[in-house]
Amino acid sequence: MLSAQNFGESGKMKEYHYAGPTEHRFSPYAFNGGTVLAVAGEDFAIVASDTRLSEGYSIHSRDSPKCYKLTDTTVLGCSGFHGDCLTLTKIIDARLKMYKHSNNKTMTSGAIAAMLSTILYSRRFFPYYVYNIIGGLDEQGKGAVYSFDPVGSYQRDTYKAGGSASAMLQPLLDNQIGFKNMEGVEHVPLTKDKAVQLVKDVFVSAAERDVYTGDALRICIVTKEGIEEQNIPLRKD
Amino acid sequence: MEYLIGIQGPDFVLVAADNVAASSIIQMKHDYDKMFKLSEKILLLCVGEAGDTVQFAEYIQKNVQLYKMRNGYELSPSAAANFTRKNLADYLRSRTPYHVNLLLAGYDDADGPGLFYMDYLSSLAKAPFAAHGYGAFLTLSILDRDYKPDLTREEAMNILRKCVEELNKRFILNLHSFNVRLIDKDGIHDMEKLTVGAK
Amino acid sequence: MIVSKMALASVLSSECADFSLDFRQPFGFNCGPGQSGADCDAAPGDSVSFSVKNPMLAGDDDGVERKIEFLHGTTTLAFKFEHGVIVAVDSRATAGSYIASQTVKKVIEINPYLLGTMAGGAADCSFWERLLARQCRIYELRNKERISVAAASKLLANMVYQYKGMGLSMGTMVCGWDKRGPGLYYVDSEGNRVCGDLFAVGSGSMYAYGVMDSGLRQDLTVDEACELGRRAIYQATFRDAYSGGQVNLYHVHSGGWTRISQEDVLMLHQKYKDQA
Repeated sequence: MLSAQNFGESGKMKEYHYAGPTEHRFSPYAFNGGTVLAVAGEDFAIVASDTRLSEGYSIHSRDSPKCYKLTDTTVLGCSGFHGDCLTLTKIIDARLKMYKHSNNKTMTSGAIAAMLSTILYSRRFFPYYVYNIIGGLDEQGKGAVYSFDPVGSYQRDTYKAGGSASAMLQPLLDNQIGFKNMEGVEHVPLTKDKAVQLVKDVFVSAAERDVYTGDALRICIVTKEGIEEQNIPLRKD
Repeated sequence: MEYLIGIQGPDFVLVAADNVAASSIIQMKHDYDKMFKLSEKILLLCVGEAGDTVQFAEYIQKNVQLYKMRNGYELSPSAAANFTRKNLADYLRSRTPYHVNLLLAGYDDADGPGLFYMDYLSSLAKAPFAAHGYGAFLTLSILDRDYKPDLTREEAMNILRKCVEELNKRFILNLHSFNVRLIDKDGIHDMEKLTVGAK
Repeated sequence: MIVSKMALASVLSSECADFSLDFRQPFGFNCGPGQSGADCDAAPGDSVSFSVKNPMLAGDDDGVERKIEFLHGTTTLAFKFEHGVIVAVDSRATAGSYIASQTVKKVIEINPYLLGTMAGGAADCSFWERLLARQCRIYELRNKERISVAAASKLLANMVYQYKGMGLSMGTMVCGWDKRGPGLYYVDSEGNRVCGDLFAVGSGSMYAYGVMDSGLRQDLTVDEACELGRRAIYQATFRDAYSGGQVNLYHVHSGGWTRISQEDVLMLHQKYKDQA
């Protein structure tokens, strides 16, 4: 009873006393925020991301886009743990080069998606903490979007948002592109200009409400002519 | 939740196992056979961790069969039991222990019937009667009360029936059907399934 | 035929073999972040690009793993009847309470006469069933005949059994048609592999069992059976928050599988309301 009082309210000893073994576990992961988005149209695909890099309450960088150009027809959006994003994109780049040198052609979007899936699954028990979305053109020249989970499950979509504000973007896209759960609506095909405008709008909205999204928006528009880039400023607070 | 039982008589061994294959709270299968035939006159009854049971039992089964192919004669029940125990004990000290509880029943032309009790910690005991699972708590006392070394096959079946009735009376989980097999000098005989209540 | 090495490691080592030749030590990505002194289970210089559970994470499955985990709630079912096997599944993928996708294909087409279903980790199911497809094709080329459903399911069960306790999450039904007629096996990452006439897997499975057990007969027509499967999944999506989206239906018969239908749960709800 007497000795217990000496340890203070929490029952812990004062710091200069030996307090027994303490455990500091090292975590190899961090969450650096960021949002990525991809939209596929008839003959184009758009991959967009914000450029903010943050951790906890602090913003590390305002110019760190999460779009990675892989080939002339494929762009990868990568968010989550920035370290893993870098490692992963470097591995993919190396694998693409190896493929090109051994097969004398570049990989198609579908093949890259399949490869990324196995790369992610190879780390099944120590995953890359990365949310990936691939946007590009398929072999027929149609727009394609492939979305992934961190351990390699993937599927083809027409539009998908990933990363910190994905839960804000996705419902808006469901409404504006997917026309989900609406009656008597004409399903008009998505034009490139409409898609770009929509992408800008949803990111402006996300920057308004998500602390990990902001600073600037990087849009990569993939068409058969090549990849066009646009930068649009977002809120910086 | 699973239940195994074995009763040894003067010239036979009677064994029974429940028929349920469960995954969490769901009964996936109602006619699952938990007995593995090791040789003409040896049965291995196996319950425990999902996956481990089949993997371990089949491993033992194939090795006992391999022994016969190599040597031209079969392992005796006590040899098979000791072989099984040794494997279980070795795996217990490895990174991948098998979590299985076993009964091994057999008939040896020289030694007569044999019933062996093994648990996942690789203890081995030769016993005149034995049971595994929660049901063992309820039924061992019945066996203690009614068992006698010179019981007939009919008496053994009656004790078995009593045990199953007790399970259905007191045990919270529904085990409604049981595989019953009898091993004697002529080999393994499938007996009629013991079923209780509806279905 | 049974894979002697750890299957995942063997697949990936062949995939990355030439990779490690070129860049052996300088790029340490084969061993992951652990190489910088933090220690990873894979032995140094081990070119197998498959790191076993990291000691730093051991016992902490709930921390990072749970945060990253994907697709858990689901309802899948399959049952045998006179004219083959019916497979019915929902299509919702959830990450926590967020619906990550409403259009997941939870029936995996292993080959033209074998189907697998997906419950648990989406990546685990699709990866291992893809690997199973490869093994089945190799079997076919070696033996000049199709693999039986029993053998295929055992290949899968043996592969995932080697990873038991390491955190794989997979509950699948392998359905097909072979010499012995319709085949249906339940295989999961715990190591269970059982043959049966009716299985339902996933968080909505209890609701599906309820409908199935009260309507299943051996002499159902194909149409009746499809309707029963559809109804069971629909009722499960109605009660289970983690199931929903569309109902996908497949029929396995002597000529392989055919895709019967894909219907939105919203439409089904309207249809059943009108019928009542």
